[in-house]
Amino acid sequence: MSSKPMKFIAIHDPHWHHVVGEDGPMPHPDPAPNLLLSLEQWHAVREHWPVGLRTGIELPNDFDIALLAADLPRLHLVVLQFPKWVDGRAYSQARLLRSRYRFGGEVRARGEVLVDMLPLLARTGFDAVQLRADQSQPAAERALSFFPAHYQGDVAATQPVFARS
Amino acid sequence: MYAYTDFDRQFVRARAAQFRDQLERNLAGTLTEDEFRPLRLQNGWYVQRHAPMLRIAVPYGALSSRQLRALGQIARQFDRGYGHFTTRQNLQFNWIPLTQAADVMDALAAVDMHGIQTSGNCIRNTTSDAFAGVAPDEIVDPRPYAELLRQWSTLHPEFAFLPRKFKIAVSGALEDRAAIAWHDIGLQLLKNAAGEVGFKVLVGGGMGRTPVIGQVINEFLPWQQILVYVEAIVRVYNRYGRRDNLYKARIKILVKAEGQQFFDAVNAEFKQILEQDAAGREHLLPDAELERVAAGFKLPASVQEGLASDIFEGVADGAYKRWLTRNVHAHRLNGYRAVTLSLKHPGLPPGDLTDVQMEAAADLAERFSAAELRVTHSQNLVLPWVREADLPALFEVAKANGFATPNIGLLTDMIACPGGDFCALANARSIPVAQAITERFEDLDELYDLGDIDLHISGCINSCGHHHSGHIGILGVDKDGKEWYQISLGGSDGKVLSGSPVAGRVIGPSFAADEVPDVIESVVDSYRSQRLSGERFIDTVRRIGIEPFKAPANAVRTLTGQAAAQ
Repeated sequence: MSSKPMKFIAIHDPHWHHVVGEDGPMPHPDPAPNLLLSLEQWHAVREHWPVGLRTGIELPNDFDIALLAADLPRLHLVVLQFPKWVDGRAYSQARLLRSRYRFGGEVRARGEVLVDMLPLLARTGFDAVQLRADQSQPAAERALSFFPAHYQGDVAATQPVFARS
Repeated sequence: MYAYTDFDRQFVRARAAQFRDQLERNLAGTLTEDEFRPLRLQNGWYVQRHAPMLRIAVPYGALSSRQLRALGQIARQFDRGYGHFTTRQNLQFNWIPLTQAADVMDALAAVDMHGIQTSGNCIRNTTSDAFAGVAPDEIVDPRPYAELLRQWSTLHPEFAFLPRKFKIAVSGALEDRAAIAWHDIGLQLLKNAAGEVGFKVLVGGGMGRTPVIGQVINEFLPWQQILVYVEAIVRVYNRYGRRDNLYKARIKILVKAEGQQFFDAVNAEFKQILEQDAAGREHLLPDAELERVAAGFKLPASVQEGLASDIFEGVADGAYKRWLTRNVHAHRLNGYRAVTLSLKHPGLPPGDLTDVQMEAAADLAERFSAAELRVTHSQNLVLPWVREADLPALFEVAKANGFATPNIGLLTDMIACPGGDFCALANARSIPVAQAITERFEDLDELYDLGDIDLHISGCINSCGHHHSGHIGILGVDKDGKEWYQISLGGSDGKVLSGSPVAGRVIGPSFAADEVPDVIESVVDSYRSQRLSGERFIDTVRRIGIEPFKAPANAVRTLTGQAAAQ
């Protein structure tokens, strides 16, 4: 169903690092690879941030992706949030990241990410998930297997069924 | 009817298998009740007062004899032998144990049916005119478009968790029989001066706590663009609709709050999809796809236009004539009529029918209507393809099965939700009130004298019984744990007889349950004394307003009612 296999990432991802001091997120992080910045941090450093540094950003689910469009080529990872799993705003964010702004880096779901969300995540452009701690990865993988195809086009299979032959 | 393809069939089976997996995880304890809930809702499974309730999708109200027979079988095998048709053209069962839920979904899939998106905060089953394809005033047959919307909205990955439920209705006739202005999106098919087909698009209608009539966002959208335009609307709603307050989460609140800004955002989004998105034009509908789907809605093979006849010729006054007058409707084909099977009769709640009746109705459709039925917005069944010559024979069989109450459009042809007898959300019961009114107005001469009246009953403010749009609306409310009923007058669903869609106005403090039939009687008495010659109920209410109805209605309050009114 998905063009790329879904990556399952541990809750504590050893490859990406928040820049947090004793009083919470550091307002002006120093450049380093594999930092996962908040929107505020990114805004604070984007003017002088070195080109080519592997950088990720974490966005709240009410953020308008259009406002980040110009910065997307500099980013390697966008983490989208599911504060509650029944809050579906991040699906639209992911879809816009991929379809409208052609973001080619990793789009990762984080927060209340449950097994049964996987088909929706895969189809709206997520290619990585951090499942909530109590969720079963085999069940999540099975959740991706039920439908061989869908009616409408999506990020993974862009054509609706009527346009495929 | 639309014929399922292998793809469609495989798809509903996959959905049934997915649901079985979820149900098994729930029963095994690895999927919690809270987390199973939204999943089962999107398959039509509620947990109600006595047992789970299953809402089965009847897309735009079209049902085959084979399907209805299978529903009768499910009613008998899994339920207690009856089902309930809803205002949104769906069917509900009330007594199926959840442990058998997956088996029922398999049984439904075997006849190309399912419960997909009949509940939950997603795009619900698309509804339409029950007389689609047969109405003489039809501009464009809405069924192919409703089917295209059904397919597009089914398991749309971006719109499964919207702020709140989302309902789309499509009408293709001069008269709006689908109450489109009361929907989140209302679509009116039109032809422009060049004869091209398009949609007038309304957005932001809805009932509930805040009744709102939809506004026109696009006067003429070429049909090819409909999926993209709906996507633009729903995306703006998904991103900006309120999620902090359940009662302010419907799109109507966003449309009201943002006004022109909302319209601008939708139109900008629409433009961006087409001009910027990768594959953004893939969902523009090609002629070939419309033709493929429309092929399913050709005239049934057995239907051949004949000569028009006068069905009343030689018919004496009496039961048959009454039935011809109320339950038999004009048809676009000469020699044919559409016939309503009334599901409003003493002894069963409005919209209910038994397993035996389901099979009888399936037989009737097979014998008289090309094996096709429609579920109506007002909770009846319609046989869309009846030869005029068959009407006398149909009448006899319909009568024998309890379908021939000649009351279509009259006071006792009321809309009612299942109410507090079944529904866990309800504040008050609907069915006993409906029954008491049905009994009070059993006299057909009186009923005919009162003429066309839409009576709508909801057991709570969720408005499943559409009380806002009734000429007479009854709303169940809870005060101190007791059932009370608010009465409103002058609502309209938007059909010609009712006038422009509008919410009714409340005539005063709530009444006690046993006062309701008296209040209704008082209201119709006021009408009788005030009406001009030949004036219909709704027109009298429009002309004189609700004031003249108040004092007589208040006069029927008993002591309890008076105490409550203070």
